[in-house]
Amino acid sequence: MIQAVYQWLDQRLRLRPIEEMLLNEPIPGGTSWVYVFGSATLFLFLLQLLTGMFLAIYYAPTPDHAYDSVQFIMSSVTFGAFVRGLHHWGASAMVVAIGLHMLQVYLYGAYKPPREVMWMVGVALFLLTLAFAFSGYLLPWDQKAYWATQIGINMVGTVPGIGDALVRIIRGGDHLGALTLTRFFALHILFLPLMTLGLIALHLFILRRVGPAGLFEERRTVGKSGAVRAERRRRIASEPFYPRQVFMDAVVMGVVFLIVVGLAIGLPFPLADKANPSDTSFKPIPEWYFLFYYQGLKYVHGPLEPLATWILPAVFYAVLMFLPFIDRNPARHPVRRPTAILIGIFFLVGVFGLMAVSLKEIYSVPTTEPSVVRGQELYAKLQCNGCHRIHGSGGAVGPDLSYEGKGRDRNWLIRHFKDPQGVSPGSIMPAFSLTVSELDDLTNYMLSLR
Amino acid sequence: MERRTFLVRMTGFIMGLIGLILSIPLVGYVISPAFRRHPQDWAETGSPDELTVGIPRELSYVVTLNDGWLKTTATKSVWAVRQPDGAVTVFSPLCTHLGCGYHWDSADLTFKCPCHGSIYNINGKVLAGPAPRPLDRLPVKVDNGRLFVIYKEFRAGTPRQIEL
Repeated sequence: MIQAVYQWLDQRLRLRPIEEMLLNEPIPGGTSWVYVFGSATLFLFLLQLLTGMFLAIYYAPTPDHAYDSVQFIMSSVTFGAFVRGLHHWGASAMVVAIGLHMLQVYLYGAYKPPREVMWMVGVALFLLTLAFAFSGYLLPWDQKAYWATQIGINMVGTVPGIGDALVRIIRGGDHLGALTLTRFFALHILFLPLMTLGLIALHLFILRRVGPAGLFEERRTVGKSGAVRAERRRRIASEPFYPRQVFMDAVVMGVVFLIVVGLAIGLPFPLADKANPSDTSFKPIPEWYFLFYYQGLKYVHGPLEPLATWILPAVFYAVLMFLPFIDRNPARHPVRRPTAILIGIFFLVGVFGLMAVSLKEIYSVPTTEPSVVRGQELYAKLQCNGCHRIHGSGGAVGPDLSYEGKGRDRNWLIRHFKDPQGVSPGSIMPAFSLTVSELDDLTNYMLSLR
Repeated sequence: MERRTFLVRMTGFIMGLIGLILSIPLVGYVISPAFRRHPQDWAETGSPDELTVGIPRELSYVVTLNDGWLKTTATKSVWAVRQPDGAVTVFSPLCTHLGCGYHWDSADLTFKCPCHGSIYNINGKVLAGPAPRPLDRLPVKVDNGRLFVIYKEFRAGTPRQIEL
């Protein structure tokens, strides 16, 4: 059936040559599991495109409605939390995939002539991916989104001369508000996807024109086993893209897909409280892939600040973009490019080191004290969340306790638990009969909320 | 099976599986709110003492409507008829033919629909015109001397009453 339809179309549209061009592209040195990251990135981009279109069905890009509409997706739409989870974790996975893809290209020296333009288009795609991440982060309009975006935009403001103007242009005015949200939304769902699709087409067009780089030099003698491997590779000289590489790509896509599905189900991504511009106490933490940079910013102060906020990033992206022209060493094998490889290793150690320090700091601050943990358990046992809300979860009958630890002292809390009406007249909170140690635990938990 | 055939089939299988796992939640995601019913609460619409036996009155009341993440209020009306035994009958204000608003003709003592000429008697029975069924009755109760109704809409044009 499919064959018959294909033949009918082929007689009219002459599809066979196109099919051959697409599928029979020779890969020098044969297919490999190392070449799958580009397809994995493309697959994740398409997954983002799909889940994003579906999220847009219920999303309203105005400060009045954005948060409520995302809340509606999460709580009222069947599979809504799952679809949003796919989009959230798909974004993370895409950053990982594009990072691995760039690393592989760097390691294999595949950015060298004649593939300079393909590399540069790839770097542009990487920048678009970061722009996707940044613009998408604001859309749920919760505290995390609002304050992370505020900080990101303010960093742009440190660029000398044009900083203020840039900030106004990004915000669409003098403060982060309705105009910022609509332009971030348009950027995220129209401008960026179309630009990305165009550049992906260009990236693949160039790939087909210059061909895949394949393995490094065939004739290198890198120790005995290397020589043997090169010999074996040469025997299969160049293997076509289809069906083996396509199969490998498909397997990796399947695995990546299952990981994202697993994360979407197992690690839901809850909303924080609704964005509140007047609450300056909120401490935003960026997405994990920006953590190394967030940590780096903590170490530079005063006159050195612009170095971290824009000079280093600008230099980094410029070097990345023009790498094929900066690294003039014609060799592709890693062993013959010690400088490039060392720089790469230093970069990775720096990024992952900062990320590790940052993660350690984030997770060592709150709720490790046993009493706080017991208090938290007590809070759940007494079903305090029936009336009280902490960071977006729980009822809205009683006061929001997200930052209860800030304004209260220990004595007030203990007296209030014992006799709510005595401390705040008219309160409808019931008095719970708690032991002294339970009172202490619950109070410690309240004080840890800040 | 030849190695090549195996690779081709496995590729197709993996792609098909991804498509299948995605399509089920995505379809559910799109259609679920479209078929969700939001049970309406009792809405107060005045006092039964204001009604006179034999003279229907149009009463209005405010209902809360769930509109996605929005809650909106709308003013709706009903035709209320006091029965000789004191009970109150409440009719949906929409003609069962095509959903036009009808009115009470105090000269003829009938409900008349201006659109296509359906005529009902005071008990909602069809006397003339294209209306396929009697006027739709709504749930009604008297509580503490106040009249409460539940807002409902029914499909127009069907002999059987089908709630929307």
